[in-house]
Amino acid sequence: MRALEPWVEAPLQTFLAESSARLTLLMTSSGQVVAQHGFSRSLDVMTAAALGAGIGASTEELARLMGSSRFEALVHHGARQSCLLAGFGTPRGRWIGLVVFGPETSVGIVQLFFDQMVQQLASAARRDEPAAVRLPENFEHELDASLKALFGR
Amino acid sequence: MTAAQAVLDRVTRVPGVRGALIASAEDGLVVAEQLMDGVDGRAAAALAGSLVGRLARTADGAGRRAPAFVQLRAERGSILVAPCPKDLVLIAVVAADANVGLARLEMLDAASRLH
Amino acid sequence: MSLVNFTAREITCKIVYYGPGRSGKTTNLQYVYGRVPESRRGRMVSLATQTDRTLFFDFLPLELGSISGFATKFQLYTVPGQSYYNATRKLVLQGADGVVFVADSQARRFDDNLESLQNLQDNLLAQGVDIRQLPVVFQYNKQDLPRDLILTHEEMDDALNFRAVHSFAGDALHGTGVFETLRGISELVLKRLAAGAVAG
Ligand SMILES: Nc1nc2c(ncn2[C@@H]2O[C@H](COP(=O)(O)OP(=O)(O)OP(=O)(O)O)[C@@H](O)[C@H]2O)c(=O)[nH]1
Ligand SMILES: [Mg+2]
Repeated sequence: MRALEPWVEAPLQTFLAESSARLTLLMTSSGQVVAQHGFSRSLDVMTAAALGAGIGASTEELARLMGSSRFEALVHHGARQSCLLAGFGTPRGRWIGLVVFGPETSVGIVQLFFDQMVQQLASAARRDEPAAVRLPENFEHELDASLKALFGR
Repeated sequence: MTAAQAVLDRVTRVPGVRGALIASAEDGLVVAEQLMDGVDGRAAAALAGSLVGRLARTADGAGRRAPAFVQLRAERGSILVAPCPKDLVLIAVVAADANVGLARLEMLDAASRLH
Repeated sequence: MSLVNFTAREITCKIVYYGPGRSGKTTNLQYVYGRVPESRRGRMVSLATQTDRTLFFDFLPLELGSISGFATKFQLYTVPGQSYYNATRKLVLQGADGVVFVADSQARRFDDNLESLQNLQDNLLAQGVDIRQLPVVFQYNKQDLPRDLILTHEEMDDALNFRAVHSFAGDALHGTGVFETLRGISELVLKRLAAGAVAG
């Protein structure tokens, strides 16, 4: 498991243990990765987050067009594994969770513990107020050197 | 009244039963429910579905038949589970002083008639 | 909003290629994909129609490497340029840290460029973003076409670039200007971040 913010770790860990999910990805609604478990390549995680956020955004928009509020969750039943996509509010804005699970667990279990994680994330976020932070002084200087190296010009 | 509702009606009439529900075992999702306030049907369905699945796999691995009735006893009551045909489970949430014997009879009888 | 994480020392920025239909947005990403070493890029995802028109978005994740000890990642997106996909464009634009406006230099596409730029401004505004506050660069693409069909770099600047932001002449098909453009927007986005933007 890998979480960008330490306070996300405990709720996610509990979810993973209780739900037996194979892959879990938490992202912001604009597709930025917040935490993940089960992926081996960080670049693939970004792709999954972009696609997950895209699905989340379009189903929400679709729900609005059809005059309902938002869809709670989207479940895709596959032959060998299934997938749950659910949006939720956090004190840090709207996030989306993407969970891939197999027949060793069930959609009911995954949904149950997902909702529990959402509650735990909400209270953990309130305890961990973000501090105002700055990049190091030399960032801009090093940036020039890095861009030169990367783009070769 | 649907067949499912009739089954739930009979089970919840047993003294001490605080709620009954039918769930799909594989998904752990509620199919029908009749619950008193404060009973979380969704959690009961998810957990009982998973429990039955695991027990069935364990029994199978040991070369035994899957259990026909499960009682999970906790401090403040029990959860009773009866697997039914068509991958359904009948679940009852009962208080500590409930008549578990009667509940069991009703559930087994009802389970056999859930076709 | 860029995600800056100080514990994990990571920076992730979202850059959106915007512009009218068939201006060459997807071609820009394809060129970058083909030229960046595999270790620094992920899979390129293209959600497109059967005729290769972008339907939802293209997506290409890049790892720029470490800057001041921060692992810096870019997410490149394109929007579908065709006008009736506006709902989708709005979705892709959400949370963008910078925009590359890919204009079609062909004289006959003049109005389409203007319309798309106006549409960008409207969509940003609907999300509470003033285009003047957002890092934006222009790329005048298809400069390889015959002179009599296209407007020059200066003419394109006059037509679109009112705020005199960075602009680049491009031929995305052959790669001219593609990396210059990407470098231009990267620099703007990261410098803005360094200037004191706070973690998202
Ligand atoms: N001559 C020339 N053709 C180009 C150039 N860039 C792109 N094209 C061609 O223009 C056509 C459209 O390019 P795309 O990259 O698919 O355009 P797009 O902006 O992604 O279009 P939408 O997805 O519909 O918004 C393709 O046939 C490209 O080969 C260029 O610099 N010069
Ligand atoms: Mg395209």
